[in-house]
Amino acid sequence: MANHSTSHPTHVHHHFVDSDQQFDTAKLGMWVFLVNEILFFGGLFCAYIIYRAWYPELFQMAALELNTFWGAVNTVVLIGSSLTVAMAIRSAQKNQMKGLKINLLITIGLALVFMVIKGFEYTHKFELGIFPGEYYTYEGLDHPKAAIFFSIYYMLTGVHALHVIIGIGLIYWIYLRAKKGEFSSEYYTPVEITGLYWHLVDLIWIFLFPLLYLIE
Amino acid sequence: MSTHNHEHHISTAGQLWAVGTALLILTIITVVVAKFIAIPPPLDVVAAISIALVKAFLVAAFFMNLYWDVKFNAMLLVMAVIFFLLMISITLLDTMYRNDVVPSF
Repeated sequence: MANHSTSHPTHVHHHFVDSDQQFDTAKLGMWVFLVNEILFFGGLFCAYIIYRAWYPELFQMAALELNTFWGAVNTVVLIGSSLTVAMAIRSAQKNQMKGLKINLLITIGLALVFMVIKGFEYTHKFELGIFPGEYYTYEGLDHPKAAIFFSIYYMLTGVHALHVIIGIGLIYWIYLRAKKGEFSSEYYTPVEITGLYWHLVDLIWIFLFPLLYLIE
Repeated sequence: MSTHNHEHHISTAGQLWAVGTALLILTIITVVVAKFIAIPPPLDVVAAISIALVKAFLVAAFFMNLYWDVKFNAMLLVMAVIFFLLMISITLLDTMYRNDVVPSF
């Protein structure tokens, strides 16, 4: 590696052997972060499981307050956005910069649709007085622990929505860099890694949807 | 991990659309199973989680590319799931076998 100034592409940092090693290292780092994310959401899912085991009837009653139709629409929207992110990465791999930018913009659009629907769902619940914890004032659910279901609901969907918002920011940042022509089939690591993050956001929702909306 | 000098796997558009379509169909199945087929508990939860696991596998394997990736990354995901299950089981060993639930819980 003595003569590395001539053989290295500009995007490769000097402490990596080659572009491939840099790519794999970045991806490994992202996967370690995703492990952390899974265990972070895992704590919230754990709370869900414990309370559902303690109060199964509460979860059946409370889930009826959630709108299955809009939950299903949001599931489809997120699956679609995962598909467009995968297509964006494919475009970058094939050096199709126009396809990359278009797919990133569609992804942002779908993420915004998700947030708007979530916003309407939240607003509707706030109007009924369904707030988390001690601020819960809704009278329509006859269960002493009714507030607990919605505390768990707001934590899980709220933290997930926060991830969607951060994802929108990240994908827009990738879009701006793509516009500047920073990516090519030789170097698209940030696109790949942001894609991994976005797929995880989709993965979490894949579990949230049946666990919150589909309890009968 | 730098020993392999492979080309990055590029999925065809058809493959990606197939995975997306499969996820869509599984979403429809999970709604139909929950809303229109009355499976008695706790089997309804088992059905919902099973379908979600299949969807999660599709996303992880083919959208997140773990199927073609270095196996170490797949191992990280598996370890995360194992530690998650460990966290749940140990917590449930406490919460399911208490004589008295803490009143304010």
